[in-house]
Amino acid sequence: MYGDRPLYILFLLGCLLTGLLILYPAYYAVQLSFFDADSFISTPTWVGLENYKLVLADQEFWAALMRGVIFAGTAISLQIILGIGFALVLDSAIPGKAILRGITVLPYLLPTVIVALIFQWMLDDHIGILTVLLENLGVEEAAAWANSPFWSMVLVIFVSVWLWTPFVTVCFLAGLQSVPEEMYEAAKVDGANAWLRFWHITLPQLRSVLIVVLLLRAIWMFNKFDIVWLLTGGGPMQGTEHLPILAYRKAFDAFEVGVGAAISTISFLILSVAILVFFWKFPIDEKR
Amino acid sequence: MQDKNEQNMKSESTRIGRKKISRRRMLQGIGAAVGTTAVGLNAPYIHAKQKEIRFLNGEPSVQSVRAMRFAAAQYEKETGIKVQMDTVPAGKAFEKVQTSIKGGRPYDIATLIFVGDVLLLAGENKLVPLNDIIKKYDWGPNILFPMDGNNYWYPYDYNLCWINYRMDLYKKAGLKEPQTLDELKANMSALMGDGEDKTKQGIVHPIASSGATNYTSFGYLWANGVSLLDDNWNVTLDDSENLSRAVEYLDNFQSMVPMMPPGLAKAGWGILVGGIQNGQLSHCPGTGRLIDVINVKNPELASNLGIFPFPSPNGENVALNHGYDGWVVLDTAMSDESLRFLEWFSDEHLINFLHTSPVHYQPTRMDIYEDARWLSHPDIEKFSHITSWQKRFLTDENVIIKSIDTEGPYPDMRAGKIFRSYALPEMLQNKVLKGMPADECVKIAADKMREVIAS
Repeated sequence: MYGDRPLYILFLLGCLLTGLLILYPAYYAVQLSFFDADSFISTPTWVGLENYKLVLADQEFWAALMRGVIFAGTAISLQIILGIGFALVLDSAIPGKAILRGITVLPYLLPTVIVALIFQWMLDDHIGILTVLLENLGVEEAAAWANSPFWSMVLVIFVSVWLWTPFVTVCFLAGLQSVPEEMYEAAKVDGANAWLRFWHITLPQLRSVLIVVLLLRAIWMFNKFDIVWLLTGGGPMQGTEHLPILAYRKAFDAFEVGVGAAISTISFLILSVAILVFFWKFPIDEKR
Repeated sequence: MQDKNEQNMKSESTRIGRKKISRRRMLQGIGAAVGTTAVGLNAPYIHAKQKEIRFLNGEPSVQSVRAMRFAAAQYEKETGIKVQMDTVPAGKAFEKVQTSIKGGRPYDIATLIFVGDVLLLAGENKLVPLNDIIKKYDWGPNILFPMDGNNYWYPYDYNLCWINYRMDLYKKAGLKEPQTLDELKANMSALMGDGEDKTKQGIVHPIASSGATNYTSFGYLWANGVSLLDDNWNVTLDDSENLSRAVEYLDNFQSMVPMMPPGLAKAGWGILVGGIQNGQLSHCPGTGRLIDVINVKNPELASNLGIFPFPSPNGENVALNHGYDGWVVLDTAMSDESLRFLEWFSDEHLINFLHTSPVHYQPTRMDIYEDARWLSHPDIEKFSHITSWQKRFLTDENVIIKSIDTEGPYPDMRAGKIFRSYALPEMLQNKVLKGMPADECVKIAADKMREVIAS
């Protein structure tokens, strides 16, 4: 008689939490995007779509969007390539495999703040260990990386790859355990080399894992705020400022709360469309 | 069937003591308890019994927190009213104030360090005037920021930005305090090099789009007589009077860059303190905080630090970048009590609080400079060569005290928006990093300021 009731209660509790912590704040942000406000305690003035018009007509927005695509695209590509590579190595018969698997995950366990501080120290323009090393190797511009938008972007991508490749590695490593060994043996009998076995057996078998990992990484990297903010603050000269940082700056720094909310909403819409297109092109269910 | 029913009944009930209680009863009981508690916590008569002032302190150093908590405890002892002291870094105070207002439990007194935030709150009728407290004292210049004839904030310190320098190195090299910008550059150059009494660089001025840059890198601009806005809120940075001076400022800044460390685009507060503390720099911009911090770790070095204002190219004017901190009283049920506390604190404990960072917390009230209690601190005496300068800064008409956020004919959000647009740091970036012509950098900055004001 009471069989399903606990289930419904828990489901309702979950809906309540989702509504309070996710849906309501999202709704509030979207609502704010239709108003003009200097702060979160100012009396907002209805402006309709004016904030959206301002944002879409602003070169800053398109530049930030492009930077976000470059940052996310480059970081994800490297994470996937390296992640698969590490997974293949960790799946092979190498000595100390168990220890290596543990060490591989370490970067992922570190708090982002700590990683940002470590890299800032290592790249300090005078005493940074990496700066001194690069200068000794003849890269004299190393000390002034922070003055260069290009090298600042390179740094942010590098640190993102260092931090989150372990996640990709672990996912693919888990996926590799489900690939039947017989397929590899049959391929070897047929004369397939390592590359052909990887391309024709491993990758197709890991397709669903790849799709999910790619999707998750794309969402997270496109919205990634913390590592960029901590490392460069979006600078220099807005060289690493992507949409999350632009939205933050507008809402919390520039007294343009409505514009910041509009940028966040547009970013959300862009990501939603991208995900829909992604699922249409790469359905997880292979039977479709 | 009967057995099955009995089994079902057993599985849906529990035993507490000798009594069987059904699951439904238990859930009802828990719900009733939660509901009663929720109502009870919000019962007006309960709140009426709890007299408490919530104070948001923005000075997180141990000594400052100790002083505030001590004052709070003393007030509770004298009046029976509890003062709940919360502490956040000053830069985060306004966010916390906003959150408290939106959350329905606003702070009664809060620290604010940016006049734009005060204007925002006053404009939304969230603050109560402090006129009666303010008129009791004689205040230094350009510190009260009245709005519509009312004073909404109690400034407790100036944080004027000057140039700190190594007096010991000057003495060994036979140098004098510079009166002009060229003399400053010559002194920096003379002290740079390898060797015991030399430094790696001369000075550092950040150029990142940050508050640190706004605060420490434009003293030369003010000393050169540049104004950003006229009395009608028109941008004047690139007009006929100011353009040439702004260009001169940029050219002079560029000429100092070879004497600065690399990585200016990411330089922040840390390098200002660390650079002079580790002997990398012979000069650096900063406030008394730098001296108080170094005094804790290296009192001997602190004793060898002197200050002077930003010089102009021709030596006619000197300038300091303006900085300030203060308290506001929010319009809450405890406003009247908060005003009483603030007045009591101002009379009885302010000096004790200022002593927790004696050089950094430069008094805003002129009476304090003559107050034996303030003068009694050993560090006020130790750094008398600095504190004497501090009072002079406020009384000498030839000293320009300016900042981006206090430009304009009266306190207004427009100056705050220019501050937060980082138009001037970008001007420096365009000049130093992109190598653009100085007049073009100035014009771009002026156009950005116009755009920001118009929005």
